[in-house]
Order: sequence, then structure tokens, then C-alpha cells
Amino acid sequence: MPEKTPESRLKIAIPKGALYEESVALLGKAGLDISGLDNPGRQLVLYNEGVEFYIVRPTDAPVFASYGGVDCAICGRDSLAEAALEVVELVDLKFGRCRFVVAEPALAEGAVEDSYQRLGVIRVATKYPHITKEYYDILGVQVEIVKMHGNIELAPLCGMAERIVDITATGTTLRENNLVIVDEVLESTARFVGNPASARIDSRVRELAAQLKRVLQKDEAEADKTRG
Amino acid sequence: MLPVTPRGFKDVLPEEARWRERITTDVQRVLSLWGYAPIETPTLEVLDVLEQAGTLNQTSFRLFDSDGALLVLRPDVTLPIARMVASRLPNVSQPLRLRYVQRVFREVESLRGQAREFTQIGIESIGMSGAVADAEVILLLVEALKACGLERFSLAICTVGVLRDLLDICVDEGDVDAAWRAAVLAAFHENNLVDIETLASSSRVDPRYGRAIRTLPGFRGGLEAIKACRALVDPLGCTGGLDELARCYEVIERAGAGAFVTVDFSVMSTFDYYTGLVFEAYAPGLGVPLGSGGRYDSTLGAFGKQAPAAGFAFVLERVMHALLGQGTVPEASGSEPAVAHIVFDEDDPAAAFLEAARFREQGIRTVLSSGEDDGNA
Repeated sequence: MPEKTPESRLKIAIPKGALYEESVALLGKAGLDISGLDNPGRQLVLYNEGVEFYIVRPTDAPVFASYGGVDCAICGRDSLAEAALEVVELVDLKFGRCRFVVAEPALAEGAVEDSYQRLGVIRVATKYPHITKEYYDILGVQVEIVKMHGNIELAPLCGMAERIVDITATGTTLRENNLVIVDEVLESTARFVGNPASARIDSRVRELAAQLKRVLQKDEAEADKTRG
Repeated sequence: MLPVTPRGFKDVLPEEARWRERITTDVQRVLSLWGYAPIETPTLEVLDVLEQAGTLNQTSFRLFDSDGALLVLRPDVTLPIARMVASRLPNVSQPLRLRYVQRVFREVESLRGQAREFTQIGIESIGMSGAVADAEVILLLVEALKACGLERFSLAICTVGVLRDLLDICVDEGDVDAAWRAAVLAAFHENNLVDIETLASSSRVDPRYGRAIRTLPGFRGGLEAIKACRALVDPLGCTGGLDELARCYEVIERAGAGAFVTVDFSVMSTFDYYTGLVFEAYAPGLGVPLGSGGRYDSTLGAFGKQAPAAGFAFVLERVMHALLGQGTVPEASGSEPAVAHIVFDEDDPAAAFLEAARFREQGIRTVLSSGEDDGNA
């Protein structure tokens, strides 16, 4: 009686964008029916055998999982840290690796320290105000955080902010805009998370987590073998 | 613009109020039958006083009064009751069984879709310890949730003793410090199994203890989960609370509530002041816990009276959400129109009141009407 009725389908949120394809492939390897996910068109929900897939914006994935819209989700650690919502973080899926970095214009070397010395505050532009605040709080640096929604690189280039906190996978965009990395904030990978209630009362969530771990270990072992 | 309430605070209109009243009455009746006596605590407490028992949740509402005292709107009821028992009932040596229905207040960021005021129904069992006292708390929570009308719900229970033992040994004998310990506790608090794994895999931790800490949140099931946990931590001498948990679970099963209860060692998120048993209650389809509780044997001591204690609290509004989701809303929660109307005479309205009194004595809802309107309540 306490377990969910097995007839109900397990609800999973998958982030569209950079993590999408690897998420789908991994869920397929874990034995889920992923038909239709390779080309969902404009469909946002797919009702498959035993499972419902919700295709969500990456930053919304933690919200769906935390509020019980879905039983579990795949989302980046960056989105989790920024959302600061209650979920059960079950497995590090290892893919979608990117870094949170602090960057400034290459030409401005030393200028920020100088203005901090004189003005006692740094202005930082970011899409991730929570992560940024936590990072600077730990350092004890006084900052004014400006929340932006995209193309953060522009803020220091036009002098609106001295630094940015943003994610980067390869650093190419930063380089092309003459920005240099001055510090690392955190490293992010994709995570498999559960809704706190579902992770406790629906055994399928923990079983899927265990299955995903097995798939990852197997892949890793095979990669080791080919590396020889 | 219409005059609105603050974000996360709401009015309760008659239909909802009747339903709330009915659930509250039904639950209070059950709690009372188990020997629990009603209490109330003030809406505001002195922050410093409550914090004697540990750091308060950061999300509480705080304010200064005109004396300059820093006050807090009670964010839960357990600490105020511990404070009350220590200060008002310090010489009581008999076990105390207390129950309450009180509003609590939590500050929540905007745009999170969360209430900032909600109603907790709960109990505290003070002066009793051991597996039987633990089992009473669990069994009573099951009965209370049933009395609400819930048919499907589940309690996840475990003990914090094992983890405390493991962390103590790691810090005492190993190469890790208090900051590491705090980080592991924070990871358990945040349900972050990935961080737990990383922290426990640190080269500074004895691998045997590290493995136990990593594996701990995965134990889930019935008595066999407790046995599996014991097999892992027994050789390490870290079996704190496991005997009580096993005994408690056996009692729960034999008392017929086993179907509602699962052992789950990942439930240590409400760690703060708990010293043994901890649990959370869930309803299928409701993304948040209905309630939680546990044993907190050192909290009263912080207020100057040593006594073991345990309790639970659940949120009335969440139970109502779950009931709606399960389609078990009682009929009587609908509107209850007045059944009798007495038209009064402008020259002698007292006569109508007297007549209405006769109806009411017979238990008939009666309203006075001028005869011009239809008098619907």
C-alpha cells in the first residue's frame, strides 16, 4: 500500500540543450523505453512504456523534481546549486562537464584589485546570482551582483561590470571576447536527482539510480579496456 | 487592486475552514485517546532563549519589539515545548504526553510558490525513552494520519546513531577534522548522496569507515535492511541506535502498522537536534513530506532539565492536498446551509430569538430572517 501502484508511469524530467542527447542515451542504456526522444519535435511530454518523459529547460529541472512535478530528473550541478531547492542528489552522471569560472577582460589585469582597494566593492555580472554570492561570501569579498540572462561577456566589455561568473566548457567564447579566467568557482557535471518523497516511497527511483551507476561503471571499465 | 494578504499567507473561507475543523477535531480525538494533553505556546519567542537548544532555522521571521528584544515567530513547536516544559514543569517526574495544533511561520524567498504560515499538528512524548516509546510515536502518527482520512501514506524511519558513531570515530582516530564532519552532516541534510560519496572517499578517511558512510544511505526496506546495516557497521563498533530501531520496527510490525513503515537510512535530513530515531511521512503524489519527527534526548537538557523526548509534527495543509489528490475529501466538508429560517417581527424581534432558541436546543441550525432576503448563510 505505501508503494506507488506499479501501473503508474515513472515521471522523469530531461533537460533540453547541451545535456539532452547524452541523457537520453544513458537512460536508454539503463533499459528505459526512450522511443521518440531522438526526435520529439514540439512535443514536451512523451508517454512511453512504464515511463513519462518531460522535456524541460535545464534551469527548471530542479524545480520539477523538488516540487514533485516529476519523480526524478537529470540536471546539471550548476542548475542545482543555483536553484538551491530540496531534491535527493543520487548519482553523478559524469557527463556534461563544465566549469564555473570568474573572468575579466584581459586588458584589465590588476585593475579590479586596484578598484576594490579604493572602492571596497566589485561589480559582478552573472546568470547565477546564488552561486556567485556564495562564492564571494566564502572569500569575504564585497560584491554587487548584477543578474543577467545571457551574453554575460558583454558586461565587462562595455564597463558595466568588472568581472563575470559564468560556465564554460572549453573557454572558447571567453577567449574570443578577450576575457581571461582569474579563478575557478566550481565544476559541474550532470546529476540524477530524485524528488525527496518519490526517492523514499517509490522504489523505482532508487532502482533506476542503481541501474545508472552500473551502466556508468560498465562504460568506464570498457573505456579503460580500450585504452589498454 | 484588491486588498491582498502578504505573500504566502492566506485567508480561510468557510468551506475550507469547516474541513480544517473536521480534520483537526478527528485527529485531536485520537491523540487525546492515546493520553496526550493539549497545550499552547506563544506565537512569539525570545530568539536567544530558543537558540540555547541549537541554531534556529535561518528561515524564521525575526523582529525587534519596543524593548529592543529580538523575537522570533515560532518556526516550529518542538523547541517552544521543550522550553515550556523546562521552565514551567521542571519538577514533573512522570512521563508527559502533550499535543498541539498551532500555526508556524517560515520565511521563504519569493516566487517559490510556498506558504509562509502553516498549521502543524503534533505531539511530544517527554520523559520516556527506548524502543517502545519510539514505537508509540510512530504508531500514533500512523493513527493520526488515518484519522485525517488518508488511506495511502508511508513513513520512512531510521536512526542517526550509526552515522554519529561513524563520524565520531573518523574524527577521533582519523585524519579528518570537524569541518569534514560538518560537511558530511550538511550533505546528509541536503540529501546529497553524490557529495556524501565524495567526502567519504577522501584519502584522509579510513576506507572501512568511508565505505560504511557511503553505503549507509542506500539501506532501505524492512528488518533485513537493519540487518544488512548491522553487518556493515558491527565490525566497526558503530551500531548506535540500531538495537532500538530493530526493536521499534518489530513492535510496529506486530502492532499491525508495518505496511505503512519502511526503514530508509537516507532520511537524516532533519538532523539538527535529533539523537536517535528520525522519520518522515510521505503521501504518494505529494512532492513534499507530510511531516517528520524523531527523538531529541538532549534538547531539554539545553534548557536546564534533563529528560528524554520524542515527537512528531505534520502539516495540516499538506494533508489536505494529499486528501484531494487521493480523492478522499469527506462529504461534510462542503457547505452546510442553515436549515431553519425564522422571520422576525420588527415590533417584537425577541420573540423570534426565543423561538429560534427552541429549535437550536434540538440541534437544528436556525437563523433569523427579515423575510425580505432569503437568509442564506
